[in-house]
Amino acid sequence: MSNGMRERREVIREEPWMGPRILEALAAGPRTVPELAAALGRPANEVMFWVMGLRKYGYLTEIREPGDDAFYRYRAVEREV
Amino acid sequence: MSYDVLVVGGGIGGMESALKLADMGYRVLLAEKESSVGGKMILLSKVFPTLDCASCISTPKMAATVHHPRIRVATSSEVREVRRTENGRFRVRLHRRPTFVDQAACTGCRQCEMSCTVAVPDEFNAGLVSRRAAYIAFPQAVPKKAVIERQGSSPCAYACPAGIRSHGYVALVRAGRYEEAFRLVLESTPLVGTLGRACLAPCETECTRGRLEGPLPIRRLKRFIADTHYAAHPVPAPNGEAAAGAESLEGIAGDARCDPSRADRPGPLCPAPPSGKRVAVVGAGPAGLTAAWHLALRGHAVKVFEAHGEPGGMPRRAIPPYRLPKDVVARDIANLTALGVEIACGARVTDLETLRSEGFDAVLLATGTSVAARLNVEGSALPGVSTALELLAGVNDGSPPDLREKTVVVVGGGNVAIDAARSALRLGARDVRLVCLEARAEMPAHAWEVDEALAEGVRLHDSWGVRRILGEDRVTGVELRRCTAVFDETGRFSPAYDERTTERLAADQVIVAIGLVPETDHLAGTLRLNPNRTVAVDPGTLETSLPYVFAAGDVVSGPSTIPAACGQGRRAAWMIDRQLRGESLDPEVVDDRLPPVDKDAVLGRQKRYRRLEPLPEGKRLISPPRGFGELEPPLTADEAWRGAGRCLDCGVCSECHQCVRVCPAKAVTMDARGSEDEFEVGAVVVATGFTLFPADLKPQYGYGRFPNVITGMEMDRLLAPTRPYNSVLRPGDGKVPERIAYILCTGSRDRTVGNPLCSRFCCMYSIKQNQLIMGALPLADVTVYGMDIRAFSKGYDEFYEQARVMGASFVKGRVARVTETDNGNLVLHYEDVDRGGVLAKAEHDLVVLAVGVAPNPAARALFPAGELAVDDAAFVLEADEDLDPGRTSIEGVFVAGAASGAKDIPDSILHAGAAAIQAAAYVERVRGAT
Repeated sequence: MSNGMRERREVIREEPWMGPRILEALAAGPRTVPELAAALGRPANEVMFWVMGLRKYGYLTEIREPGDDAFYRYRAVEREV
Repeated sequence: MSYDVLVVGGGIGGMESALKLADMGYRVLLAEKESSVGGKMILLSKVFPTLDCASCISTPKMAATVHHPRIRVATSSEVREVRRTENGRFRVRLHRRPTFVDQAACTGCRQCEMSCTVAVPDEFNAGLVSRRAAYIAFPQAVPKKAVIERQGSSPCAYACPAGIRSHGYVALVRAGRYEEAFRLVLESTPLVGTLGRACLAPCETECTRGRLEGPLPIRRLKRFIADTHYAAHPVPAPNGEAAAGAESLEGIAGDARCDPSRADRPGPLCPAPPSGKRVAVVGAGPAGLTAAWHLALRGHAVKVFEAHGEPGGMPRRAIPPYRLPKDVVARDIANLTALGVEIACGARVTDLETLRSEGFDAVLLATGTSVAARLNVEGSALPGVSTALELLAGVNDGSPPDLREKTVVVVGGGNVAIDAARSALRLGARDVRLVCLEARAEMPAHAWEVDEALAEGVRLHDSWGVRRILGEDRVTGVELRRCTAVFDETGRFSPAYDERTTERLAADQVIVAIGLVPETDHLAGTLRLNPNRTVAVDPGTLETSLPYVFAAGDVVSGPSTIPAACGQGRRAAWMIDRQLRGESLDPEVVDDRLPPVDKDAVLGRQKRYRRLEPLPEGKRLISPPRGFGELEPPLTADEAWRGAGRCLDCGVCSECHQCVRVCPAKAVTMDARGSEDEFEVGAVVVATGFTLFPADLKPQYGYGRFPNVITGMEMDRLLAPTRPYNSVLRPGDGKVPERIAYILCTGSRDRTVGNPLCSRFCCMYSIKQNQLIMGALPLADVTVYGMDIRAFSKGYDEFYEQARVMGASFVKGRVARVTETDNGNLVLHYEDVDRGGVLAKAEHDLVVLAVGVAPNPAARALFPAGELAVDDAAFVLEADEDLDPGRTSIEGVFVAGAASGAKDIPDSILHAGAAAIQAAAYVERVRGAT
């Protein structure tokens, strides 16, 4: 699954770069981290960093409870510009 | 300045010692290297065995420490040295790192953090999520003030002579914030599009990524943001038609909040209110235009005098359109005219005094090097001999010479010669030869420019000099002689030739491109000139010998580069502004750049890098080339995004200045610098705490290789109220874990990693986390693998039993290794002692390594080598742990908390109290003796 994890610093550095793509992918509706990973063609463990970074800074949020598959779904947060 | 006691470290031990001492009446200096006190305890979820909230216990103590009238807390500060003096006291050297935020003004609103463009691992969340370069350490930080992590100037930005914050605009492009990126470049120069095409890009030469696969396309990114902005804000109509042409300030800045009437909040691109001062700028090249831009932004009325028919200087006259389309130069210049800068073309200034008498308060001379040097050889006056400047000016103003089917010899080895040769091909020349003194590898022209010229069909004759130009009524050819050396042994230009080796080339036209000189003869009686006819100035202030006249650009430096000229223009504007305001001219304060960050240190932040290929150049070179259409294709948004995404964030802070713009308290101070202070103290308490065992030193457990293997501290963060995720989730994919394993003694009681000691609290924090997990995830199974459970203190065994009752399983046995399945689950291979030592396997979906403690080497580094004794494990050695706790090998130096060995929180607090009493007693004893 991990297929050679990249260093955290390198993955996190790409957050400002990948953030807009993740929000774009969420425009169609809430998704889990593996679903976003599939949409972006990036490893789920890397997408996890970016999703949680976006969540920390208020760009997305989770749907209240996880699904039957034990995954939370995340949706973009509407923000005032 | 003196204090009774220095406490080093603001964790629970340090705070406890400081508070005890201060309550006893002693004056305490507490030095903490982080931006907040709190240490590791504030990062925990709850404490054992009471399951009290760690934050709820810590924060009152943190606030009490910071606000105590007898404690001075120095955060972001490191003690560099402690030396004992003869009278039993200590001299302390304290280094305060700049935080680049005025701590008194900062309100902790986090606007800077929200606007920041650089993401780095959040060490306060164990690296599970990002923070920004501008950040507040954690939500309960005390003091709750922002800091900016700025390790130095990024090499790209430091290399830019124009002072453009390259890293900043790259970071903004990466984030898709193109308007802000454009605006950032405007803070340095209005010539965004020009530099995006014609800059020689020293930033790319210095780019650290160049040591990996190749540099970022920094110049092309600048072109991208200029093209993007200009597409949205087209060129104003010609002839200054106000209704159609005058560009609004909003159009320039891309920011509706930029309001020139708000004198209380002048952003970098908000023109200041009119100063009532007038400045004449002579010359509309890069230096003059950049200076005019900055002067206008500072509220001065600026008029630019340009001798030629169009403004723009060399970019307008001498750079061929296939490299720099003239509408781009015009659009750049429209940035200035929209600000109200008046440009008078065809206005040659010959008398500076006249400008003074016309009411100008200051004059900037920026006339460049407008005269082409001529060959001093036989035949150089023949018809058919011209200069590259004449050719290129003709190309740019639509009146090029007719070179169709002609044989052209271009003389020179610089970029201008290359431009002339490639232009001659585009004008239809049948054969273009480039003759230069230098060998190809030594040519002043960039290697890629030479390569492109050759690819288009230019034929190079390197290491040749022109002996004479042949012909009677008109040029018929050139006679060359072999050049054996261009410079003498002192490095001075002094070509040497082998006169016996000659060659003749036929030529219909000879184009000379051997240099440019300034046109300053008319100034000889007014200003002091250098022997090479450049204007003599103070290099720091750019003042000439006349007090109201400044000079900048090539007229000062001789032929240089566009960004160098822009940089001088900016500096001159700064100085003129200060002179007009009656302020001193300090050459040191023009910009807020820090020294460049060390590239090795940047690359050393990671052990491995993913290969990210540079973008292809994309130029289509054909021989012979046709027309003067722009050669280099623009970057698409996707290319710009990918190109910028390769940035390594060398300086950490990108200097994009978004924090400066958004801070409502104007608290960001990019010009702040660190300081070093000396203090005298009566005693020292070392409370530097511990470090955690690096889990990747047990590679058989897969930490750093398998995303769902985490450490105990990472799990504590996942369980904390201020956690990095929305719940306890697997870092590998965000799944809610159902079967969680703990591996005890990771890095403790383990001679294979050099640590035979028990870490004393790993069992208990694991049990604490077991209970919290079962509360947070009621369906989760928790299994603990270890040799035994050490629950030795008050209430600990009951706490352990409680976990068992709640459902935690405890397996006696060491885990040999961990492997990963395709779905990210983890298989533990272990010895099951309770089942007779059989080798067993168990699958879990999350593994927590209960890592132990390691000594903090910072403690020993405080003192001269060898003075502070340590034990076998390298913790600070106590003279007698039982009867004299806290006393170290140095009289007057005491150790508090886990700096002396693994301790849980209650033991650390007790120990810190003992150290405080010891320090107080020592202070009194020394006082009594003196």
